[in-house]
Amino acid sequence: MSDPFFPVLVLFAFAAVVVLALLFIAQTVGPKRMTAVKADPFESGNPPQGDARIRFPVHFYLVAMLFLIFDLEVVFLYPWAVSFRRLGVFGLVEMGIFLLIVVIGFIYAWKKGALDLD
Amino acid sequence: MDLDNLASLEYFYPEIILAGAILLVIVLDLVIKNKRVIGALSILGCLASLGATLQLYSGPSGFLFHRMMVLDHFSLFFKIVALAATILVLWMSFSSREVASLHQGEYATILLSSALGMFFMASATNLLMAYLSLEMVSITSYILTGFLPRNRRSSEAALKYLIYGGVASGAMIYGMSWIFGMTGSLDYSQIHAALFQGQPNQLALFIAFVLILAGFGYKIVFVPFHMWSPDVYQGAPTPFTAFLSVASNAAGVAILLRFFFPGVSQLGPDGSWRFLSGVEWPQFLLIVSMVTMTLGNLSALGQQNLKRMLAYSGIAHAGYILMGLVVLNTEGLQAMLFYIVVYLIMNLGAFLVVVLVANATGKEEIDGYRGLAWRGSAVPAIAMAIFLFSLTGLPPLAGFVGKFFLFAAVIKQQFYLLALVAVANSVISLYYYARVVKVMFLDFPEASDGRVELNPGAATLLGLLSVMTLVFGIYWGPLVAFTSQSLQFFTK
Repeated sequence: MSDPFFPVLVLFAFAAVVVLALLFIAQTVGPKRMTAVKADPFESGNPPQGDARIRFPVHFYLVAMLFLIFDLEVVFLYPWAVSFRRLGVFGLVEMGIFLLIVVIGFIYAWKKGALDLD
Repeated sequence: MDLDNLASLEYFYPEIILAGAILLVIVLDLVIKNKRVIGALSILGCLASLGATLQLYSGPSGFLFHRMMVLDHFSLFFKIVALAATILVLWMSFSSREVASLHQGEYATILLSSALGMFFMASATNLLMAYLSLEMVSITSYILTGFLPRNRRSSEAALKYLIYGGVASGAMIYGMSWIFGMTGSLDYSQIHAALFQGQPNQLALFIAFVLILAGFGYKIVFVPFHMWSPDVYQGAPTPFTAFLSVASNAAGVAILLRFFFPGVSQLGPDGSWRFLSGVEWPQFLLIVSMVTMTLGNLSALGQQNLKRMLAYSGIAHAGYILMGLVVLNTEGLQAMLFYIVVYLIMNLGAFLVVVLVANATGKEEIDGYRGLAWRGSAVPAIAMAIFLFSLTGLPPLAGFVGKFFLFAAVIKQQFYLLALVAVANSVISLYYYARVVKVMFLDFPEASDGRVELNPGAATLLGLLSVMTLVFGIYWGPLVAFTSQSLQFFTK
């Protein structure tokens, strides 16, 4: 085999074999004594209360998304602040435009009531 | 020209105008109560951007933003197509009762953002930029597909679209990572140089191309990446379906051509393109093209819902458009561009009639078209007949000329099988297009069928589109000149 990537293929095959072998051995050789306690989601934790599949208010996602956007906005400010001197007026104007766009988004979210918590 | 960020802005004003229009619409939507003003304002923004684009068309070509994007006639052509589609769709949305029930400010904003994404798709010369622009168009499309509130079909379509899109773009970016691994660059011209000077592994390159085709193919809707389209076309608001069928398809063709022609092929002296030896992607596309048109047409035969039928017909037309790619010469590419323009006009027209009928009857099924010619105004029925016959490719309509150029390009390069399959497909398509015409003219309406009303705006648009379909079927010279002038890639 002259292909330089042949070892990678061997690696893939090896990984697959190891995983399958381990699963197979655990399945066939390992003892299985199932009890009610063992079947719990958290074996040594608190007993679970109710169903995990409850309905979230969709507002939760909205707030989370808005948080992400405005959080990232602040993250963008850091590299700009660090290289502020080098970027000069051009950087200032560029950042102004960027902030303007984000602020428009903020006004939009506000006006549409995305920030009302009820 | 190879410009840096600041100098590029001078040649970037169509995009800046469009972005400004988007921001303006967002703000004004909060204060203006009359939503017609918002629609009119969006159209004005598009028109301003169109004017700027046309102005750049006579200017110089060059790379922008450190070779992230390119400004040439080819990219400007697709920008014009995207803007034309956006303007016509916004105009169409005025007369859609479906759209009137939506949040129109957001509708216009997202539509314009999609157009902006298509601008970037048309001009991307960097794999990263190509990926980002494709995602921008995709995400806006997902949102607008699911835009009908409390409509199960619309939400389902959006979810399906999202999942298919996610898989396709995942495959595509994986393919791009292979290209990057083989060439060490994301820039098209450097990829080109590395591939033609070095000795790339042919199999690896072919796999990478096929993976990238998955991403582009799901935008152009060819087999086997077409499964989302019927459901999405049926579920989305009808004007947006029209937008998706023409603009999204055109942008996909733009990004595909830019990658496969200046990107990984070389232009020979005789106007034919040479691809890397051993990497048989044109052969692959030959098969894809035949399968796409056949499957699209055969599936369209049994459809009762007009939007669904037009979705399958759109798949078939994607197959026809791909024919121009297989021959690997300038003539084929020019035929593709010509067909895209023609398809834009006739398909938007057909969807406009679907909107009008849905307004009157609330139906998208074919029985809503029963005796359409005898219910109120006969104009929509006549116009629909023109558009459908043009989609079939009957003379003297624009669709015939478009198909003629594609077939001629294919036959000249002696791809007889492909030409034969395409002709057979056109015959098959006549059945389902003509069935609608028969229902409209030969069946009698029942008392319960609503009368179709035609407001002045819709009538003007309908007239404009049908006249264009007729005119380009008789006098296609200017359009041919425009497309051949637009087939200019800037590579140096």
